Amino acid sequence: MNWRKRMDWLWSHALLIVICFIFFFPVLWLILASFSATGSIYDLSGFFPKAFSLNGYITLFGDTVMYDYPNWLKNTLFVAVCSSILGTTLVILTAYTISRFQFKARKVLMKSTLVLSMFPGFMTMTAVYLLMVNFNLINQLWALILIYAAGAPMGYLTQKGYFDSISASVFEAARLDGASNFRIFRSIALPLSKPIIVYTALTQFAWPWSDFILPNLLLKNKNLWTVAVGLMHLDETQFTRFAAGSIFIAVPIVILYFALSGFLVSGVTAGAAKE
Amino acid sequence: MLKTKSLRLIAALLSLLLLVSLAACGGGGDSAGTTQPPAGTQNPAPAATPAGDTGENSGGSTGGSPVAPITLHILENDTAKAEGYLEALLTAFNAAYADKGIVAVDANMDEFTDLAMNGPYGYGPDVLYQANDQLMQFAEDKHILPLNAEELECWSTTPEEAWEAFRLNLDGNSYLCGVPVNIQEPMLFYREDQMPADWQTKWDKDGNGTPDFFENWCDLYALSKEIHEADSSKFGFMASLNNLYLASPFMLSYGNYIFGEKDGVLDSTDVGFSKGNAVNGLMALRQFAGLMNEGCIDDTITLNRYEKIADGSYFCSVSTPDTYSLFLGNLTNRYVQDGMSQDEASAKAVENLKMIEMPAKMPANGDLSQDSSAVTDWVDTICMGGINGYAISSYTKYREACIEFVNFATSFDMVRTRAEMLGIAPTRSDVAALSGDTADTLFQSLDAGRIYLMPSIKAVDQIWVPSQTLMGDVAKDPFRVQQGDPARYPDKEALQAALEDMDQQIYDAIHTLAG
Amino acid sequence: MNGKPLILQAVQCPSPRVKASMILMGLGQILSREYIKGLLYLASLAAYVGYLAMIGITDIAGFITLGTVEADPWLGTAGDDSIIMMLRGLLAIVLTVGIVLLYRSNLRDILETEQLGLYGGNALPFPEAVRHFLDRKFYIVALALPVIGVMVFNVIPILFMILISFTNYGGNIIPPKLVDWTGLDSFRRVLSLTGIRETFFRILGWNMIWALASTAVNYFGGLGLALLLNKKCFKFKKFWRMFPIIAYAVPGFITLLAFKFLFSYGGPINYYITQAGSSAIGFLDIDAGLKAKLIGLGVNAWISIPTSMLLATGILSNMNESLYEAASIDGASPWQQFKKITLPFVVFSTTPVLITNFIGNFNNFGIFYFLRGGLYMDGYFLASDTDLLINWLYNLSIDNNYYSIGAAVSLIIFIITSVLSLSVYVRSNAYRKEDTYR
Repeated sequence: MNWRKRMDWLWSHALLIVICFIFFFPVLWLILASFSATGSIYDLSGFFPKAFSLNGYITLFGDTVMYDYPNWLKNTLFVAVCSSILGTTLVILTAYTISRFQFKARKVLMKSTLVLSMFPGFMTMTAVYLLMVNFNLINQLWALILIYAAGAPMGYLTQKGYFDSISASVFEAARLDGASNFRIFRSIALPLSKPIIVYTALTQFAWPWSDFILPNLLLKNKNLWTVAVGLMHLDETQFTRFAAGSIFIAVPIVILYFALSGFLVSGVTAGAAKE
Repeated sequence: MLKTKSLRLIAALLSLLLLVSLAACGGGGDSAGTTQPPAGTQNPAPAATPAGDTGENSGGSTGGSPVAPITLHILENDTAKAEGYLEALLTAFNAAYADKGIVAVDANMDEFTDLAMNGPYGYGPDVLYQANDQLMQFAEDKHILPLNAEELECWSTTPEEAWEAFRLNLDGNSYLCGVPVNIQEPMLFYREDQMPADWQTKWDKDGNGTPDFFENWCDLYALSKEIHEADSSKFGFMASLNNLYLASPFMLSYGNYIFGEKDGVLDSTDVGFSKGNAVNGLMALRQFAGLMNEGCIDDTITLNRYEKIADGSYFCSVSTPDTYSLFLGNLTNRYVQDGMSQDEASAKAVENLKMIEMPAKMPANGDLSQDSSAVTDWVDTICMGGINGYAISSYTKYREACIEFVNFATSFDMVRTRAEMLGIAPTRSDVAALSGDTADTLFQSLDAGRIYLMPSIKAVDQIWVPSQTLMGDVAKDPFRVQQGDPARYPDKEALQAALEDMDQQIYDAIHTLAG
Repeated sequence: MNGKPLILQAVQCPSPRVKASMILMGLGQILSREYIKGLLYLASLAAYVGYLAMIGITDIAGFITLGTVEADPWLGTAGDDSIIMMLRGLLAIVLTVGIVLLYRSNLRDILETEQLGLYGGNALPFPEAVRHFLDRKFYIVALALPVIGVMVFNVIPILFMILISFTNYGGNIIPPKLVDWTGLDSFRRVLSLTGIRETFFRILGWNMIWALASTAVNYFGGLGLALLLNKKCFKFKKFWRMFPIIAYAVPGFITLLAFKFLFSYGGPINYYITQAGSSAIGFLDIDAGLKAKLIGLGVNAWISIPTSMLLATGILSNMNESLYEAASIDGASPWQQFKKITLPFVVFSTTPVLITNFIGNFNNFGIFYFLRGGLYMDGYFLASDTDLLINWLYNLSIDNNYYSIGAAVSLIIFIITSVLSLSVYVRSNAYRKEDTYR
């Protein structure tokens, strides 16, 4: 028995190490490439640069004539934070309402959001562009925030599942005490849903953080670009800089995940489990 | 019972109000459903002569323009910006036109911005610098203005071929819609110190002082073979063979064409890649692929050529003249790593790095493995090329000022500065004569018709993916054989059929759905 | 209220106040001395009429004609921009639908006032009524903003694209040229051109396989990883979990570009292969059909497994341990435990997520666009053998400017996918039982 346990321990660890290696290796390669001394990927021998330097990062932040990374980072941060706040509010409201209230249009709403989410996104891009032209919202970071936030409620299912899992009796009791629905939402539902709020805020943050289709469509002026658009336009010969830029925008998300990982797991947990 | 139900749609009402105001603020601004080019109110000049009333640098900024300075948004290409030419140009222009109240600024947009999408709504640049095929797509839908080119300073010094690249035939009339600045053509880059030491005795059979391998493709093939056989990690001529532009000598030298002409106008229903002896060129491509590595099937070589020329693994590779600075930078870095000072290194790199035209002769039967002295029947190599130039957006508010700018930017001094800073090959004959050999040879090639200019019609967009697919496929053939798989294109019949398929694909892409 | 249509009820009601509201929205409410409410109705009617008079009528007319005057940018003459006109017209129509709904609510409101005898100052004072409304109809208040947002930025664009498929927009006909309504012409062309039809079905087949396979791989991959990490023998779970999360943090398109390079002929994988003396492998080139498909599956798994792992971890931590203990005592093997206990529970809890993932994978544009774009293969009309329908759509509509054809194809795909997933969703336990558990 003991022997079997040991074998089990051994192969589990071996397997896990292999899997983690698979996940980590491409990222490691990108990190190494970002420290390459020459700036090109074609002088690497296989996966590894021959000489290391910080040049990739120095040009990334120092040389802003063509590629104004610091500025793009600022724009991205602004867009991501604002759409995260607005989007989270809307998603939580939607999910809570659809979960807790019975009304006539409810099933219709649920089905139609499912159907709407199936329409190929880029096909509507022309329309979104023209709509924004019509509203004079081209070259406006706010336009992006508006679109990200407005689209967020479409993905309310996970959050709805979370609210479904909160026992109805809590709310009933408050209701009997004469609390208004708004009060119940604010003083009972919200405190109970911290994990799912954190989860939502994170996902709503990560999406604008790495999207490039929408900003590419709506932001014509290079000073307004987000990091993703800028990186897409980076010259192919500047690989080190590209890698440095890519690594740098991954870091905040990793840190956020770490800081909030406790919330996250329980957040998703409760959201998916319904019974 | 309290009455609550009746209020159910108060919220809907409020939201409706919101929608109304949203629609109103979107629609209220101008009259419904029209795009009004801002220029409309300002300049009712007839189409053919929007520049009519502007002479040489005379009263450009007048014409009812407001007192506030006119700001022109100039879109240049990234290289010009990165190398500082754009700044030089803007500074010079703004100094010269300060008293006329015209200010030119960087449009600060993606260099390939789509004028058709942005221009009508006021988000495009006023003046743009792009390649002729790109600009002329816009011209077809009147997004860029026709010009009275004869009135520009560069008119007389620029050859007709260059102007033709910007000719638009529309409804039976003919217009010029752009001002040529420089010629682009794939060029051969190499390090002089990598030349075979004995080239003068061994590789200069005609004794004209130019190595044979830079004169004809048979000898370039022979040299590549020798280099690769001596050291399998080294290669002679290397190119991404799936790239129609870079590998154009194989695709355009054998009497074929991209689009035919009907009544002097390009006819996109006549796709002619497979015409003439085109198949011989494809044979040559397939043959040369065998001397390269698999990198020639995708864009690997296009990306690593700068490094590999610098470190000597490739003897020569092809690229456009505007990438000269990238080759130079890589070579300089290499010398610095070898311990030279920055100045020494860049001086040595400049001396060592050479850029020339591709060999001018190909064997008529497409067999590169022949001994060049035995070949009697040659064809002239034809490369695909483009003319980069300036054009003026139809949606600019300041047409005259834009013309002033273009005239300034294509003046002798500015083009000369451009040639010096960016290493481009100017279309102005007076600058070309001063700018050294390369510029001059390119200029002459254009004159001699050895550059196949990218067709200036919208349909040209559809040639790239089909050709990339076929060329990559053919280039892969030698490697299929090496791995023991059967060749897909063993003979000319198979290649001919594939070329015809490709023509059909291009035709389909242009016409099948056009209705 | 009874089952009679609202309009009929209103017509049959003898009260003059109802008649007043039928003629002029809000008038009846004012007569019933519900001034604020009545004025609000009136004001929105006025706003709508004002809008109609100023721009609405022209917009709707423009929607029908799609423009009559062609602009000439050279002359600087203003003309009609068909596409913008269509969009404006669409906005006008949406607003009109809104006002009709509002009119109905006005009728319902006045009828209710009548039936309950609340006219003449018997109703709640307005502020109190609002407060009451906010409480009882919390769901309307809460959903108003999300619904409007989705309407404006999702529904209107989709309606717009659907409308495009009934025009001849695209090819040579793009503004400033005038676009026309052509009815079902685009659909007829899609279905009649042989090349297109064959390509459609060929790609649809592969698209279904891809969506099923990648959803399964990502789902079970994530579940498996979560199960593995759940084993008691691991310490530092947070540390191990970090690696997939790092993978998640790199933006998708960067990951795809990186993988494309890793698998290219000049990439490190082929570097080691050639160093080892064999010849380079074309992982993604023209012959790579199956290889490229598998790589696509793998890369997609690499990108998606971290999130599905997180989800599965959450679900598993919610499971009842005693079930496993009981099963162990009964002598069930780990595999049986997984099949009988874990899987049903997890699948039940995650059906909506599964459907969302399936749709996401069905419409996964990035994978093959980045990994293997720029190939047109024999037997395919402007597509390659790894392209999904969405990539093909992109080739047709964006690359080649056939907007109306692209819209028609996307509408067909849209109908197929929505019927499929809607029927799965409606049958799923998660949907059917969601009301019963509380």
